[in-house]
Amino acid sequence: MLTRRDLLRALGLLGISPVGCHDAIAAREAENPVVGARPALRFGLTPVILDDRVAFLRLWASWLERQLGRPVVFIQRARYREIMDLLLRGGLDLAWICGYPYVQHRWELSLIAVPRFQGQPKYRSYIIVGADSPFTALRDLEGGLFAWSDPDSNSGYLYPRVALLEQGQDPDRFFRRTFFTWGHRHAVEAVAEGLADGAAVDSYVWETLARRVPELTGQTRIILRSPLFGFPPLAGAPGLVPTDLQAIRQVLLRQDQDPIGRQLLDELNLDGFAPAEPGLFDDIAAMAARLDAGRRT
Amino acid sequence: MSLTPASYRHRLPLSLSVAAVVTAVSMALALGLQTLDNLREDQGRNALRLGHAMSEILVQALLHDDVWLAYSLLRGPEKDAADATWILIDAGQRIFASNRPERFRLDQSLEAALPWLPVAAFSPDAPAPALVRSIAPQDDGTRRVLRLTLASEGGPVGELIALLSDRPFLARFREILVGGVLVTAAVLAVMLPAGWLWGRRMASPLMQLAACMARVGTEDARQLRCQIPESDSEIGQLGRQFSAMLAALAEKGALEQQMLQAERLAAVGRVAAGVAHEVNNPLGGMLMAIDTYRQGQVLDARTARLLDLIDRALQQIRGSVSALLVEARGDSRTLAPTDLEDVRTLVQPRLARSSVRLDWNMGLASALDLPAAPVRQLLLNLLLNAIDAAEPGGAVRVEAGIDGGQLAVRVENSGRPIPAEQLAHLFEPYPEQRPHAQGLGLWICYQIVSQLGGQIRVASSAERTGFQVELPLGTEEAP
Repeated sequence: MLTRRDLLRALGLLGISPVGCHDAIAAREAENPVVGARPALRFGLTPVILDDRVAFLRLWASWLERQLGRPVVFIQRARYREIMDLLLRGGLDLAWICGYPYVQHRWELSLIAVPRFQGQPKYRSYIIVGADSPFTALRDLEGGLFAWSDPDSNSGYLYPRVALLEQGQDPDRFFRRTFFTWGHRHAVEAVAEGLADGAAVDSYVWETLARRVPELTGQTRIILRSPLFGFPPLAGAPGLVPTDLQAIRQVLLRQDQDPIGRQLLDELNLDGFAPAEPGLFDDIAAMAARLDAGRRT
Repeated sequence: MSLTPASYRHRLPLSLSVAAVVTAVSMALALGLQTLDNLREDQGRNALRLGHAMSEILVQALLHDDVWLAYSLLRGPEKDAADATWILIDAGQRIFASNRPERFRLDQSLEAALPWLPVAAFSPDAPAPALVRSIAPQDDGTRRVLRLTLASEGGPVGELIALLSDRPFLARFREILVGGVLVTAAVLAVMLPAGWLWGRRMASPLMQLAACMARVGTEDARQLRCQIPESDSEIGQLGRQFSAMLAALAEKGALEQQMLQAERLAAVGRVAAGVAHEVNNPLGGMLMAIDTYRQGQVLDARTARLLDLIDRALQQIRGSVSALLVEARGDSRTLAPTDLEDVRTLVQPRLARSSVRLDWNMGLASALDLPAAPVRQLLLNLLLNAIDAAEPGGAVRVEAGIDGGQLAVRVENSGRPIPAEQLAHLFEPYPEQRPHAQGLGLWICYQIVSQLGGQIRVASSAERTGFQVELPLGTEEAP
């Protein structure tokens, strides 16, 4: 039966928040009059991480506030593109974005840091299928139902399409039907619940879910692991002041040395943050170019 | 053995129990079915409301080709526990989303997925009203279908279908039924023994009556002591009628007994009188002959002694025989109160000897139209008997009075009661039980009373024995 919660959930899926983000900022500033002297740092989040854990994000924001000495506001959107638009048009100071949109805008954005996952600033794309399904390889999914995470996701869109191209398949016709789940977690759910035959997801999200919600990932099986790519980076907006950028980078790079910061990283299932060169994302850039070329031909 | 028990003792409580069980079971069934009906109605109404609530977002999902949005809305928070199967189909009659994604695959044609569902005609002018329709139960348990056309700006973009089955609330229905059965059992556990007891209580007066009736005919009606149910019910009436019948039976028995006794005594009287006459006639002749012989001859001493002996023996015979013949009407003198006082005086020596107290209550003021001598003899006999029967230190009470045109005399004494078997033969001459007595006292009393057209009765209880005599006044002739 439908409850009010379901309707709120439906509204949330449409991106209509009952509380506007500006109200949220005002509320936070009112709560912290001491740090309210400087404008809040606007930190955009995308579903490259499990961004649905409000309590954790609040703790991380307050830790960052103490480290930076200024308010920090997390701004979340359901789709990568909305965050990218905000980031490029000055609506955000920094954002945790995917490598694919980063390489598309790498000349405008500054690289602040890259998370270290399982010892290195890298991750993969997983092609997953239902645990009980007969599929063992990507080509078995021909004519099936496939869930992409987001059209701006490397692991959830770019890589599987390029992989199909490399197998000589047309990614737009290989599957009978595809759809976007707007988030890696949703892609895992779509496969686990039988909505899709297969999906492409972020290895970091899948592994983190496997640690936290093993009964969900237990209903899926990985049939393809991509090569390693640069982990979704934290990118600064074009207008981010260099001193601020440095300050933020210093805080993030030292987060694993702070006891509370360490716990927060554990919650994120990350080892820490590392400085990074744009070259880390060259593979993704190459794939993006390949896909563009494929489109043009 | 018959299926229906014969006795009301079992039939009544059994009927009550059966009625209780049938009532309880039919109540539980009716409630259960009503609940099932209500649950189905609620399910349909909720589905309709939910469908309308979701329709706007589902239209957006269809327009934006957002499968995940539609799916995440349809699957809701319950997932497997959802009441209904929801299917969203697009304008091309293909499945767009469902909360049962494994059963209803994305992009599958509706016809292939639900062959039994009639194809809805999309008409842009008049979209079909959303309705929950009952259908023939399908293999998957679907019993009702909700179809809601989704339209945007007047044009249909898809349809929302809900397949409703009884499965979601069958468990609840079963719980209600089990609850009903348990409550029924609990109530019956109380009701049945109560009903059983009540039934037995209702039947028990009938039992008493039946047991009592069974004794009629085998026992003497006068001695029959039955517990008769007392109530205003039909059984109570029956009981009262039955008591009346018993009383009539007892009266009849007593009357018969009395008549029998009277007849026997009359017969004995006739025999005695007859014998007395038959004996008296030759006796008179013999006495006369002896007398004549005495006067006509000179007797020697031996003959004279012999004749005297014969004479005395014959006189004795005459005395004994005339004792049997009571002649009550011979005396024409009427009874005066002094006659009765004489009797009192006559018994004084006996009273003194036996140290018995006499309680004398005479309510007579004037002479009565009754022969004096027999009444005196009657009273004397009764009084002497009473003084005999009253043991030393006892008491005798005498009452006499005029009561409704007759003289009523009552003589009572304390002491041992007369046994019942003696009472029946009390007034007969020479009763067996009293061989030591002369034996004609009460016989004479009875003869006197009978000849005067009256009645004599005796009643003996544990403490007192009383003789009641009633003599009609002014009736010269008795039948």
